[in-house]
Amino acid sequence: MKASLRQSMAWLHTWSGLLLGWLLVAIFITGTSAYFRDEISFWMAPELHHSVASEAAPRLAWEQLNATAPDARDWLIALPHERHPAVELRWRPDTPDAQENRRRRGERAELDATTGELLEPRASRGGGFLYRFHFELYGVPRIWARWLVCVATMFMLVAIVSGVITHKKIFKDFFTVRPGKGQRSWLDAHNATAVLALPFHFMITYSGLLIFMVMLMPWGMNVAYEDGWRGFFNEVFPREEQAANAGAPAPLVDDIQPLVARTEAAFGQPARYIEVEWPNRDNALIRITTAKEAAITDRRRGGNPSLSFEGTSGRLLKTDPGVGADDGFAARTYNLFVNLHLARFADPATRWLFFLFGVVGSAMACTGMLLWVSKRTQQLRGKTPGFNLRLVNGLNMASITGLLAAMAVYFAANRLLPAALETRESWEIRAFLLAWLATLIHALWRPHRRGWLEQLAALAALWLAVPVINLATTDSHLFSAIAWRHGALAAFDLVCLGMAAGAGYAFWRVAGHKPARKPARAARARRAAAGESS
Amino acid sequence: MTLLPLTWTLGYAGLTALALAMKRHHEAVLGAKASEARLRGFRVLGWALLAAMTAGCLAIWPTALALWMALGMVAFAGLPLVFLLPYRPRLAGGLAVGLPVVGLVVGWVLG
Repeated sequence: MKASLRQSMAWLHTWSGLLLGWLLVAIFITGTSAYFRDEISFWMAPELHHSVASEAAPRLAWEQLNATAPDARDWLIALPHERHPAVELRWRPDTPDAQENRRRRGERAELDATTGELLEPRASRGGGFLYRFHFELYGVPRIWARWLVCVATMFMLVAIVSGVITHKKIFKDFFTVRPGKGQRSWLDAHNATAVLALPFHFMITYSGLLIFMVMLMPWGMNVAYEDGWRGFFNEVFPREEQAANAGAPAPLVDDIQPLVARTEAAFGQPARYIEVEWPNRDNALIRITTAKEAAITDRRRGGNPSLSFEGTSGRLLKTDPGVGADDGFAARTYNLFVNLHLARFADPATRWLFFLFGVVGSAMACTGMLLWVSKRTQQLRGKTPGFNLRLVNGLNMASITGLLAAMAVYFAANRLLPAALETRESWEIRAFLLAWLATLIHALWRPHRRGWLEQLAALAALWLAVPVINLATTDSHLFSAIAWRHGALAAFDLVCLGMAAGAGYAFWRVAGHKPARKPARAARARRAAAGESS
Repeated sequence: MTLLPLTWTLGYAGLTALALAMKRHHEAVLGAKASEARLRGFRVLGWALLAAMTAGCLAIWPTALALWMALGMVAFAGLPLVFLLPYRPRLAGGLAVGLPVVGLVVGWVLG
């Protein structure tokens, strides 16, 4: 290329940013919400809200499974904890159909952790939908979607590096933001959100690629292992094989409580999972896993300590202290990146900080997109924008306010759709997609300031509606959540109100905005006057 | 006591001091021309406060995460600062003094 390095990098940054920006905005926003995936899922299942974690939970789960599925192939009891205060039961019936596919989830039930009552949460994909959308989109074959997201991520990495080169001047003074000056202000806002959180942007992008490294770069594994990545995984994450056949009928230990207490005492941590293989057979095996405080360089799965017991007698068979600390340097570096991306180790305060990182990242992507339009609008000097500019402006609108509005619709649909609706969870997702489509059509029809104002007004109204609808349809609304001191539920509604306030503020600012050139002159005049008086 | 509020406010104070070590922002916030010595003083103060902020992170989180979060604190403290500076420069400067005290008290109250 003939131009200087900086010019070519600016070109690369502008166009890679524009072409994949819309997808990246969606990835950033849904990914940010995924830090609170469990909390969102919990909010979207109000039937579970009355459950309070209790000491009796293992016993209640034990009784329930012995009554419902005494001769299942296996059981999994997820004990209640802060982020999910109900008991989750899973089991796979001992039928040929269930055995055929090891990944099949089997049956599921939720249990009130205090009363042992069976709860029936409404069918919903909850926060899992937004989490999956973050890297698999929706309705696209999974592998294509993952590749598409990875290509966008790779371009994001390119945009970071080329952006640093393009704007290297801002590292000298990133304190300067000049508001109310059109293009300049967007540039400043883009720079501030990009530079101040640059380590985060780099980490989240690079680790995003690392998570998919097996898919993106399979060649090493293909050479080293006969069966490629499967062989690699089997060696790195060895899976304990389940005994293939059921033994003769024999009752399980009556009381699981002592075994849970023993596990908790052995590792000094609360128990999290109780797994049973071949319950009520003479080869039954009970494994109790604790919720380890994961170190940030520990591996993602299989790292938690556990005790294994003989199912019929409760005799201790095996102590597994967990793995992770003995991983090599490369593995620990990989774990570090992946754990930072997923914030798996995080306590609530740290999780909020990661959520804020995501908000800053989303803001960085959005301001970049708006900067592109602002710059070209300013270059028109009052002429009518052409088709391309209107198209980009409309797509920006749909990808920013449109997506956020669709998310509000998704949450509202969770409260409004009848619980008995067939394929209810799909209807929630359809509501999300239809709302997004509606904003896209609106945005392409009205790709100008009035269009933005209309979408911002709708955005504020929709987010405000979510806690109001919640108040009208559940008894675990904001006021009771505060009274119960239930942080996650209260925070969800407060974030909704915050979103509404943010959209309202943006509406107010855009509505009060006059064409870009006048305020710039006014500001200069004001500054000149201020300079004289001081 | 929880150190998180104090740590964040120390980051804010540190970045403000670094901004005050630059002529343009120094004049905007303090309304006076600065001598080279004063600018240097603010630079030293800024880095010292950021070091204290990093120490706070190390006290809250395990080392690897703490170093990471120290970088994060720069973003969380810097963003309010850069958007406050053009609108209310004097307030931005005053907060750098007041906020660490508030952070200390809030951390104390939260336990």
